[in-house]
Amino acid sequence: MNNSLLVVLIASGIAYGTPLLFASLGELLAERSGVLNLGVEGMMLVGAVMGFWTVQRVHSNTAVVLFAAIVVAAIIGAVLASIHAFLVITLRASQIVSGLALTIFAGAVGLSSYLGNDLNLADSPASHTFNAVFPQSMQNWPVVGPIVFGQNVLVYASWALVVVIWLYLSRTRPGLNVRAVGESPAAADSMGINVTRYRYAHTLLGGALAGIAGATVTLAITPQWVDGITGGAGWIAIALVIFAFWRPELCLVGAYFFGALQALAPQLQARDIHLGPTVLWTNALPYVMTIVVLVVVSSGTARSRLGAPAALGNAYVREER
Amino acid sequence: MSAAAQAQPQPQTPAVSMRGVTKRFPGIVANDHVDFEAAPGEVHALLGENGAGKTTLSHILTGLYRPDEGRIALYGEPVEFASPREAIDAGVGMVHQHFRLVPRFTVAENLVLGDRRGAGRNFRIDPGAIAEQVRGLGERYGLEIDPRARIWQLSVGEQQRVEILKALYQEARILILDEPTAVLTPDEADTLFVTVRKMAEEGRTVIFISHKLHEVMAVSDRVTVLRAGKAIATVRTADATPQSLAELMVGREIVVVRREGHAHTDAAPVLEVEDLWADGDRGTVAVKGVSLTLHAGEIAAIAGVSGNGQRELAEAIAGLRPCTKGTVRVKGHAVHTGDARTAFQAGIGYVPEDRLGTGVSPTLPISMNLSLKSFRSESVGPFLRLRMMRDKAVEAIRTFGIKSSGPEQETDELSGGNLQKVVISREFSAHPSVLIAASPTRGLDVAAVEQVHSYLMEAAEEGAGVLLISEDLDEILALNDRVLVMYEGGLTEAADPTNVTEIGLLMAGGKPA
Amino acid sequence: MRLTFERRLSQPWWLSVAVPVGSVVVAFVIAGIVLLATGVEPLPTYRQLFNAGFIQTGALTQTLVSATPLAFTGLAAAAAFRMKLYNIGAEGQMYMGAIFGSAAGLFLGGRISSSATVIFAMVAAGIVGGALWGSIPGVLRAFFRTSEILTSLLLNYVAGLILTYLIFESQSYWRQTKGFNATVFPTGKALPDVAQWPTWTIDVQGGVVIPLGALIAVVVAVLLWLLYSRTRFGFEARVLGDSDRAARYSGVRVRRKILAVMAISGGIAGIGGASQVGDFAHALDGDPNGLQKLGYGYTGIVVAALARYNPFATLLVAFLIGGLENAGNTLQGPGFPAGLVGVLQGIILFCALGGEVLVRHRVRIHRRVPKRAAEAAS
Repeated sequence: MNNSLLVVLIASGIAYGTPLLFASLGELLAERSGVLNLGVEGMMLVGAVMGFWTVQRVHSNTAVVLFAAIVVAAIIGAVLASIHAFLVITLRASQIVSGLALTIFAGAVGLSSYLGNDLNLADSPASHTFNAVFPQSMQNWPVVGPIVFGQNVLVYASWALVVVIWLYLSRTRPGLNVRAVGESPAAADSMGINVTRYRYAHTLLGGALAGIAGATVTLAITPQWVDGITGGAGWIAIALVIFAFWRPELCLVGAYFFGALQALAPQLQARDIHLGPTVLWTNALPYVMTIVVLVVVSSGTARSRLGAPAALGNAYVREER
Repeated sequence: MSAAAQAQPQPQTPAVSMRGVTKRFPGIVANDHVDFEAAPGEVHALLGENGAGKTTLSHILTGLYRPDEGRIALYGEPVEFASPREAIDAGVGMVHQHFRLVPRFTVAENLVLGDRRGAGRNFRIDPGAIAEQVRGLGERYGLEIDPRARIWQLSVGEQQRVEILKALYQEARILILDEPTAVLTPDEADTLFVTVRKMAEEGRTVIFISHKLHEVMAVSDRVTVLRAGKAIATVRTADATPQSLAELMVGREIVVVRREGHAHTDAAPVLEVEDLWADGDRGTVAVKGVSLTLHAGEIAAIAGVSGNGQRELAEAIAGLRPCTKGTVRVKGHAVHTGDARTAFQAGIGYVPEDRLGTGVSPTLPISMNLSLKSFRSESVGPFLRLRMMRDKAVEAIRTFGIKSSGPEQETDELSGGNLQKVVISREFSAHPSVLIAASPTRGLDVAAVEQVHSYLMEAAEEGAGVLLISEDLDEILALNDRVLVMYEGGLTEAADPTNVTEIGLLMAGGKPA
Repeated sequence: MRLTFERRLSQPWWLSVAVPVGSVVVAFVIAGIVLLATGVEPLPTYRQLFNAGFIQTGALTQTLVSATPLAFTGLAAAAAFRMKLYNIGAEGQMYMGAIFGSAAGLFLGGRISSSATVIFAMVAAGIVGGALWGSIPGVLRAFFRTSEILTSLLLNYVAGLILTYLIFESQSYWRQTKGFNATVFPTGKALPDVAQWPTWTIDVQGGVVIPLGALIAVVVAVLLWLLYSRTRFGFEARVLGDSDRAARYSGVRVRRKILAVMAISGGIAGIGGASQVGDFAHALDGDPNGLQKLGYGYTGIVVAALARYNPFATLLVAFLIGGLENAGNTLQGPGFPAGLVGVLQGIILFCALGGEVLVRHRVRIHRRVPKRAAEAAS
């Protein structure tokens, strides 16, 4: 039973979906404060590279090394996000072009490639990886075994993160403040909330989570590094935020759904099931599904209006006439 | 005059003292060495026409702007606000002209934003406790509102109540109200004045910003008049008359433009709207079965507090909003609704309320904006006749006196009055059969207002039917042949266009006796 | 110390040129610091880059090889971005242009003897392919209000999968099936001679080869400029890009316009794809490590942004960035960091974005006036 397609899909969906979850939660925070960061793919790639590098170069016991890797990935993600933050918050540049610049700068033909090749990271697989936490006996329990107890610590951390962010946004004062900043920065400003500080903080947090998401890919899913290893996941994460109506709990659902889609292709092949005439269909499915979902979500006009933070994408200026 | 102010002799520590305050923006000095003082427990009006610098001064007091020069003191203590936070902590609260509320939040959430003192100051938000506090506050001041209602669900008048509650919640000792009656019916305005009195009696200082003489006369103890960025004079209201204040405000004798209104029912109808229905932005019905007939040479004025469907009605007739039901005819010919091009090609001109966002293309040059609708007929095949457009622009700039650096200047760099002239000159030159003007003089100084009014009357004289939509009752009364009132999507005609009481009643949804 | 930005009352024209140029200079300085940090000498590296890009024998020819597709994707991006339509899909639209263009070349090449006709057909097919692919996000944006950023971008991945599929995973029309080599490594069918695009050689620097695609790019730039500044279409598009409410007000049929601009943008990228086939590869390149790794579509956005979306500036910037790409390719290997080109481009774009603010605003530095002094002054 634990080997049935459904159970495997759900379990793998959770595993594959975890980087999507981290990245989309990060982007959700940034967007809630009104900043659109299209550089997620770039930040993920650099997080992936630097997390991997930490694991290969730091010599200590597994737990310490992995923890250090996550920290490094988070820091580098935040540093990259700070470039975008400076450009769009302080200098009021176009959020869209800046985010794209970040992706080009950090992406598959940019910084991540530069670092990965320069540091010769493609040569060997990861020395330490994130593995399942619970003992094999628990993992063998029917259904819940592989789905719940077969995951690594990053997955469990992501679950905690969803809860924390949900509580933060709906039940705390800083959460209320950041929502105000994203909806009407003028109102927030006039109430004495520092719009700039909130935007910087949340954009950097978003970058840190994107970095962690990238490290999840190279250290938990595919324990090696190649150029462009995330394969567009960053973009799907951005779409996920829209799909989830900017709500953390829906990000979870969406991330696992798309994770399952990614797990679909190899699973079907292993079972010799053919979805369409060719393998092209299953490979393209995640991207096509994302587009379909986006269309469905955006064409319900009133509903999407109720979702997006009203001031998303716009720079806030106090002293403009 | 409030009892508190009457009891205390003048020489005492003023609640607010501003000396030599100056604020410059690119190309303009908004406040020019302004001296201003207000006493505790006083209602002090800040009077001036649009553009005189009233709002700028108040923004400096509330920490939104920083003065380039000058000193400010509260209750004798010098202060320098680096941010709105500091002003709020010092006890300065403002009710803005354009509300600073978060539409998606509830009333309680808006009040609690940035709270440091009350039930919302904790890290964790307790919705129940906050709601209680808000309810208590509302009862105390007669400003009842449901704390759990979302702002976008409230009427404009109710939203203003929330703005006032916000200031009171923060225990403001100095309250600034910026043009508060612009969005109220006459009755609501009277209620507001009562609230203002109550606050002053408690020892608070209320600074009342307005450009309306009769309000200032009705509610204030003293008046400071601003003109072109300078403080001209401060007088006791009891010693002033509307005429004296008006002269201080404008610097010369005002000639009030008034139209000799008369019926035009025997002239040919230029616009016939029958049973028009249209939806608003949020999917609810905004225009409910409106019918009206406009005759050539007539000015029909539509009064009403904003948010009752006037904007949607104007957009529906001008083709900018689809109509769910009903017909529009211009000079007897049916006009296909929901398409802007069809509407203006049929002869409907439209001066929109949102001149910068809709009426012009902001970063494009003036010459392009002057041909914004006519470029299709001014072109040869697919190609534009640029030189002709430019010449036309030069001509229009001259004729309408548009102050600019030339036809290639970016349109959003123009001042409000000149921007409106661009819009008006464009609409006029098309010689429309129907001219819809929505809030055409909002935010303009007196000179510009006079000009716009004269253009509207000129249009009527040339045979157009003019539909004037305005929230400014004075403007409505000055310019109309007929008065109609819009309330909750329905249009009613006032039997007597000079009877302010009747019009006020209709604006509030009452039925005339 | 505080910084404030004041809107400039008028923008001197020279600023629009000085700022992008200045940002490139600043970018090289910053990149130089990054290089130093990783133990590479910046100045010799830059000299190497310049040499490999423009000076040494054969450099200009190679630069044009990179610059030609960049010109097309840059023009595609400029055409759309100027109207605030963020078409990130030039990459995929180029692939589709390549697919359609090579199909035309293969099909007609064997049947028609006139090279000019075949080439014309290839260009037309390229336009159609790119335009169709660009219309998908166009339709979704125009009629369903879906953000074109994400849809055009996701379609890049789909287009890449299709391209790879046609050569690697199927026995399609495009695939070379005969000959020994065909079984060893999948390649695209070679285009017949009539379908190969001509070149012109200038006797400079050992002979610079100018491909037909480069000349087509110049023509496209001129047409694009004419379209946007001299036609009714361009007038409406400019208004739409400026304010969609004003556009509606002025009678622009917004949905049609959005679709048209996206289709034009896609079509231009499509010519770039046809040029890849006709000018350079002479076959459809479905190798995932081939055309798909070069990222011309994304670099085109950098080109357009630096050129501030002006068609002629786009040509110039495409040439310069093409030189940079060429140099990067030539020098790649031990001793020269891979990915440096992307890093440089990113930094240049960041600096250009930052510099942009200087064009529209004047920066003022405020020193806080000490309280004592203010009181003493009164």
